[in-house]
Amino acid sequence: MYKSILLAADGSDNSIRAAKETLNFINEESEVTILNVIDPADSKDDVLHSGASESIINKRKEKLSEIISVYESNDIPYLIHYEHGVPNETVVAFANKGQYQLVVLGNRGLNRLQEMVMGSVSHKVAKRSKIPVMIVK
Amino acid sequence: MLEKFKREWLTAPGTNIMAGIVVALALIPEAIAFSIIAGVDPMVGLYASFLIAVIISFVGGRPAMISAATGAIALLIVPLVNEYGVDYLLAATILMGIIQILFGVLKVGKLMKFIPNSVMIGFVNALAIMIFMSQIEHIFGISIDSYVYVIATLFIVYVFPKFIKKIPAPLIALVVLTGVYIIFGSNVGTVGDLGTIERSLPSFFIPDVPFTMETLMIILPYSLSMAIVGLVESLLTARIVDNATDTYSSKNKESRGQGIANFITGFFGGMGGCAMIGQSIINVRSGATTRLSTFTAGVFLMFLIIVLGDWVVQIPMPILAGIMVMVAIGTFDWDSFKYVAKAPRTDAFVMLITVIIVLFTHNLAIGVIVGVIFSALFFATKISKVDVYLEEMENTITLHFEGQIFFASIDTTIEKIDFKKYDKPIQLDFSKAHLWDDSAVDAIDTIVRKFEEKGNTVYIKQLNTDSRKIVKELSQLNEQHLT
Repeated sequence: MYKSILLAADGSDNSIRAAKETLNFINEESEVTILNVIDPADSKDDVLHSGASESIINKRKEKLSEIISVYESNDIPYLIHYEHGVPNETVVAFANKGQYQLVVLGNRGLNRLQEMVMGSVSHKVAKRSKIPVMIVK
Repeated sequence: MLEKFKREWLTAPGTNIMAGIVVALALIPEAIAFSIIAGVDPMVGLYASFLIAVIISFVGGRPAMISAATGAIALLIVPLVNEYGVDYLLAATILMGIIQILFGVLKVGKLMKFIPNSVMIGFVNALAIMIFMSQIEHIFGISIDSYVYVIATLFIVYVFPKFIKKIPAPLIALVVLTGVYIIFGSNVGTVGDLGTIERSLPSFFIPDVPFTMETLMIILPYSLSMAIVGLVESLLTARIVDNATDTYSSKNKESRGQGIANFITGFFGGMGGCAMIGQSIINVRSGATTRLSTFTAGVFLMFLIIVLGDWVVQIPMPILAGIMVMVAIGTFDWDSFKYVAKAPRTDAFVMLITVIIVLFTHNLAIGVIVGVIFSALFFATKISKVDVYLEEMENTITLHFEGQIFFASIDTTIEKIDFKKYDKPIQLDFSKAHLWDDSAVDAIDTIVRKFEEKGNTVYIKQLNTDSRKIVKELSQLNEQHLT
């Protein structure tokens, strides 16, 4: 059993699948840190389509709600971190500086178009992380 | 004070200087292209970008936001430059600054929250479409070579970021393709065909216009539009940067700062500008958090022009056109299609009418104003629906009122009531209504009087505290009506 893992999640179906996968190797004594990276490039859409900053924050929580319920229903302690930055760099920095035994993420995120242009986050994290990486398909 | 200065200027200086350099590289092609849209020498846009970025880094309200010469302002001033020349543009820029400073002092920034999302989405979409349309003459019907350069530029700006992260792709396109042009030559127009580049710092001069009422009347409508559009885009960008960094910034300080920047820029031969959404996002994504990044962007841009000025005139126009197409695609809100399908009908209508008005008038300011008026009217209509229903009980007849009662809703409220003689006392129940103004109080007086004229006894009950207060102050009814 892992004691401490990092789950990079954006609320996409893939990240929910990744969250469920972690149940195979953690238990009530483990701790999951859920990391949600907010890309400045998405800020324009956020502001144009939700307006008040309150509702933007609520939207972020809502996106992770399914993942949170995966852990709550299994009594697994979790923390949530929101970080601002370029997704792959931020995940790598976070994974390398903490005391995590493993970083888990889905192989594709919410924004397919962006991935086509910029390359996938999971690929970059796998390349540059110093701790073991699990990519869930 | 010192604490704040340190935080806003000296936090992570290395990262912020690097981010500023990246932004400067991305700014150059845009500043030149926007000058060409406006019909002025490239130097007018380059000086503007240098001056506005440097000045706003000191006086702006939003650290790490990038302001410079922009497409939104360039598109507004085309007719002014065309008819009267660049000196009138500089005078208009100075007046634009004065108007924005006044807006800042009068705290107009706070009014921005009355611009709904639907109008903002319309604004960015109209801006994107206008930028794209302004490039058509530089892309189509010139030569086969032109098409090749445009396509090569688009290829570089969309494919290269996959492999090269640190250097902005538009600059790569600019350098590589200008190199190709200089070596092989080809049948395309260049920046040099449209203006000259001076390798010197801007200097102070007073625009050469007659100081008369006539001049003022020529520039005032432009200055006003420029001031409004500049603030709309700047405050929208400030909100986006606030959101991207989870920090708050003073919108009134930003309005005032934009005004000061434009005011000074006009005296140094620069055209008006405002904050830029795309560049600000590039800056923040590069890790910028402080004013130093904005300052560096301005200074480094000027440095590059002084060093490389002779090369700039050789830039083929279709490269800039390709970069502008990318800017247009980046500016457009692609979620709009979903928005038109799913948002409330009135919101979708306001968004579309904003775009249509801008495309007809070529003036983003008019689009915003019409959009705001329409959304205010829709809001008033929506909120002025008052329900009245009658409930007959053993000893009384109760009329229930539900909704907001104010000047716009009283007519429809009174129309819903059947004034006749009832055989029981009438109670007017306002527990689910709110009375907003003296028209509402008048309306209640009228309702009571009309019932009493038919020989009924009328009581008013369950006014909420606010409503009761204005009724007490304004109504001619006496206490016995209130229960």
